[in-house]
Amino acid sequence: MNEEQFEVMAMAYLKDEISKENKMEFEAFIANNTDYRKEFDALTASWNDFDSIVVPEPSENMDKAFFQMLGSAIEKEKERLNWATQVQEILALIFRPQLAYGILILALGVSVGYFMKQDNTIQQIEPKVVSNDETEEVREKLVLTLLEQPSANKRLEGVNEANKISKVDETVINALLKTLNSDANVNVRLAAIESLTNYVDNPVVRQGLIQSIPNQESPIIQVTLANLMVALQEKKSVEPFKQLLREKQLDTTVKKKIENSIESII
Amino acid sequence: MGSIPFVNQSKMQQLSDNSLMLKVKSGELDKLGLLYERHKKRLFGFFYNMNSDAMTSEDLVQNVFVRMMKYKHSYSGEGSFLAWMFSMARNVNNDYHNKNKKSRNQYELSTVEYKLEATETIENTMDQKDAIAQLNRAMQNLSTDKREVLILSKFKEMRFSEIGQVLGCSENTAKVKAHRALKELKTVFNQMQIP
Repeated sequence: MNEEQFEVMAMAYLKDEISKENKMEFEAFIANNTDYRKEFDALTASWNDFDSIVVPEPSENMDKAFFQMLGSAIEKEKERLNWATQVQEILALIFRPQLAYGILILALGVSVGYFMKQDNTIQQIEPKVVSNDETEEVREKLVLTLLEQPSANKRLEGVNEANKISKVDETVINALLKTLNSDANVNVRLAAIESLTNYVDNPVVRQGLIQSIPNQESPIIQVTLANLMVALQEKKSVEPFKQLLREKQLDTTVKKKIENSIESII
Repeated sequence: MGSIPFVNQSKMQQLSDNSLMLKVKSGELDKLGLLYERHKKRLFGFFYNMNSDAMTSEDLVQNVFVRMMKYKHSYSGEGSFLAWMFSMARNVNNDYHNKNKKSRNQYELSTVEYKLEATETIENTMDQKDAIAQLNRAMQNLSTDKREVLILSKFKEMRFSEIGQVLGCSENTAKVKAHRALKELKTVFNQMQIP
């Protein structure tokens, strides 16, 4: 038995926390080891002396102070519980089942209504967008088809259809310019000018109108273009008009009109 | 039917203490009064032997129960109630000394009177009174750790396994500590008797 084992066994022995076997073993050990027996005797004496230290009784004040503290703690707890109960009761009153169901059904109705309304709006808008896109596409195809028809009426109808397109693409513009330059019918060409007038902000349209000036034979077309160029104050049109004056045998009225136009543009 | 063996009595007490503390935890604060009645003397003895000051010991006993109420939610009901209670008592004592850096060796006149009055009926001779007073002084000369382990060891209801829980060590370490403290107490006591 080493020193630490002795210490452990000795304290277990003194406190009577030792098994029978260990007790016998320990007793035999100290019986055969004088030094350890002396040490153990001294320990036992100290252990027993310790009992002589008398601890006084606590005063009544300790009890009084404790129960006062406990009483106030219990009161506080009761107040807290009362308050919690009151809140619970108020909540129970507010959230009675009938009221809760009523609110639930109302909320359900409102939300269903809201979503249904939203769904309808979407349904209404979407087909419109789709149909607009589709109509524009169909109309463009119709314009291109009609402009190539042999019948002047059909081609005129084509130009009128082009006016209905809100946002024309390059294909339609080219088709209209081609009509302006090469269509056999004056009315169709005139209608093409009117149609192209809607897109004068487009540089391609402006350029196309200017380039078509020297090619025009019809006096009414010539005068319409002259009026348009004056209205647009298109300086680039001056040279084509001069070319027209030089190269074509123009009607006197038309010639005068063009000269006046050139002057007013300059 | 003979008397109930010590271990069984202790276990019954422990179960009962545990269930009382669980009731306190669940909001039945009045049950703390029963625990107080059951353990007030033991706690007072612990603080008195630690500090040799009756008034302070009474205050510290109350502090333990205030702390029990404050931390009742942390009580799990597992393990020894005594170990849990004395861990709190130990912390209360440490907190007290940290706040009041007063020398613990200071022997107050009032305390001496208190003690002598109480021992008067038990001890008759002057020599015995002197020896007890000297032993008490020897106790106060030990370090806090040694005093703690000795006082806890002398509680019949506490086993070394529980003392180990209070001190945060193993059962055997608690025994070794108790042995060394007892040995030192004897040495200090003998030195005091040398004129």
